[in-house]
Amino acid sequence: MVRHPDTPVTGRAAVLRRLARWCLTPLPAPPVALRRGPLRPGRFRSRLRSTRLASQLGVALGVAFGICFATGLLSHLIQHPPGWFWWPARPVGLYRFTQGLHVATGLASVPLLGAKLWSVYPRLFSWPPARSIAHAAERASTGLLVAAALFLLVSGVLNISRWYAPMPFFFTAGHYWVAWLAVGGLLVHIGVHLPAVRAALARPMAPEPRQDGLDRRALLGGVAAASGLITLTTVGQTIRPLAGLAVLAPRHPDVGPQGLPVNRTAAGAGVRAAALDPAYRLWVTGPVRSVSLDLAALYRLPQYRADLPIACVEGWSAVGTWTGVRLGDLVALVGADPRRSTALVESLQVGGRYRACTVPPEYVGDPLTLVALRLGGEPLHIDHGYPARLIAPNRPGVLQTKWISRITVAGTP
Amino acid sequence: MKTRAGLVAGGCLLMAYAVGGALTDADVAPGGVLLFLAAVLVGHDVVWMATVLAVGAALTRVPPRCRSTLRAAAITAAAVTVVGLPLALGFGRSADNASVLPLPYGRNLVAVLLAVAGTTLLACVVRRRATADRKESERPAEDRP
Ligand code: HEM
Ligand code: HEM
Repeated sequence: MVRHPDTPVTGRAAVLRRLARWCLTPLPAPPVALRRGPLRPGRFRSRLRSTRLASQLGVALGVAFGICFATGLLSHLIQHPPGWFWWPARPVGLYRFTQGLHVATGLASVPLLGAKLWSVYPRLFSWPPARSIAHAAERASTGLLVAAALFLLVSGVLNISRWYAPMPFFFTAGHYWVAWLAVGGLLVHIGVHLPAVRAALARPMAPEPRQDGLDRRALLGGVAAASGLITLTTVGQTIRPLAGLAVLAPRHPDVGPQGLPVNRTAAGAGVRAAALDPAYRLWVTGPVRSVSLDLAALYRLPQYRADLPIACVEGWSAVGTWTGVRLGDLVALVGADPRRSTALVESLQVGGRYRACTVPPEYVGDPLTLVALRLGGEPLHIDHGYPARLIAPNRPGVLQTKWISRITVAGTP
Repeated sequence: MKTRAGLVAGGCLLMAYAVGGALTDADVAPGGVLLFLAAVLVGHDVVWMATVLAVGAALTRVPPRCRSTLRAAAITAAAVTVVGLPLALGFGRSADNASVLPLPYGRNLVAVLLAVAGTTLLACVVRRRATADRKESERPAEDRP
């Protein structure tokens, strides 16, 4: 028996084929009378716009968003580590670098996104609005990509400016999930436009008119200058030698009590009274025994010095000279092996997202991980965590718990 | 074709993961996120673009010699303002924490914008001289006295 060539081999393939055909069937064109305003042909006249420009800006944006996504995801994993995740205590300043890069790259991509969206703006008004179901879906996903990209940059800028009121959501969670949305949209977008990008970035077959080429390069130069100026005026919040130029940075690495910026104050955390209480005790609970130490007892233990940065999730960082007791020594005091113990460090704060943190064994056993009592040789300022705070290498500032009240050690003797 | 299909399929999966994740994350208020997505999209595509197009149209009236310099200056000024304005408005300042937004951002933003304007002016003047010189040297020799 001879099969008809169109006869489906299996039912599922047929369904898929029919679905594909349905998605690609041309939709009826809307009445021409609706083609008004910006939808009219020839409304956008700038000769600067071209697929080549959109592709060049697109590639730069793709790289920038890739860097932001990788560094942002890393920051998320450090703060919410799943079982498979491991983050080392060295190099000391790695997180400072990655999160500084996150914020700097995000800020530098503001002009890139602006120029890119300008360069493709006429396509918003292409006619007919949707040629087929597939085309409509593609346009919807482009809309999501644009909304997500704007969301990330605007929420990021608002967050580092600490202006939370315009954001009707919890920043970190919203920014995190929208980042996945943006990256998904970006992959779809690249998949859709790949041939156009390849063609546009290959040496042009027909050379563009000289003046157009000069104009396009001048525009790209302007975008690069804008990115450069933003970087120059902000990146000093984490690169110390450039602090003098950082006139638009939300933080200055030298400004704050004891010459160091503060994220959350004692008053803001509601711990002033408890922290200043002369009856203060640090409780350390281990597998073998528990101890409670007052400040004098803490000072009687061997004191060590560590020059370590506070590296804020908001992209600023500043180095302090900390002195105090090694966390490992306290863990050993309650009968556990520091290199095989995990410590839960809790603050005097009663509530709040960042009142406690978990310190994994790589950090507990690290000689630079301190329960710091002093900063720059003086007792800690209350806003830096008096009477005692955690300071460890290569960790975000939100995990450097201040006003420590209790350390619970889970480990083996 | 395989690459493209892979990119599109992978991208769709990531977008689905984002939506699923946001809906199941107790810290996310989906309505708030959706509202903000819509607000930035409309704000950009309607309000912001209308302004940008108006400025762009005005720029076509300046002499071609200065146009691309001026365009670069406008892009730079706009971008710096997006980053600097929330700081200059100062809603993030905190009564009990002087290390937050410690600088006079309004003044600094104006200074940066003035520096951009100054550089642009200088570039235009230099370019004008260069064009004039070129015209001079391109003139045929017999025209010279
Ligand atoms: C955040 C990142 C990006 C955003 C928000 C964005 C946005 C857009 C929008 C709104 C359009 C017009 C609608 C359309 O034609 O589909 C477009 C077109 C385009 N994009 Fe992107 N894009 C981004 C990244 C990229 C990347 C990474 C590339 C390439 C590697 C790229 C290459 C293109 C190309 C070639 C076009 C068509 C332009 C034309 O034919 O004139 N874009 N983009
Ligand atoms: C102006 C641009 C941007 C700024 C200022 C900015 C700022 C920030 C800040 C301050 C955080 C830390 C949040 C926290 O842990 O409390 C963060 C996290 C993050 N950012 Fe951005 N960002 C920007 C752009 C982007 C872009 C373009 C992407 C992705 C494509 C992105 C993806 C992420 C991710 C995945 C996180 C981790 C969130 C988490 O810890 O759950 N960001 N960003």
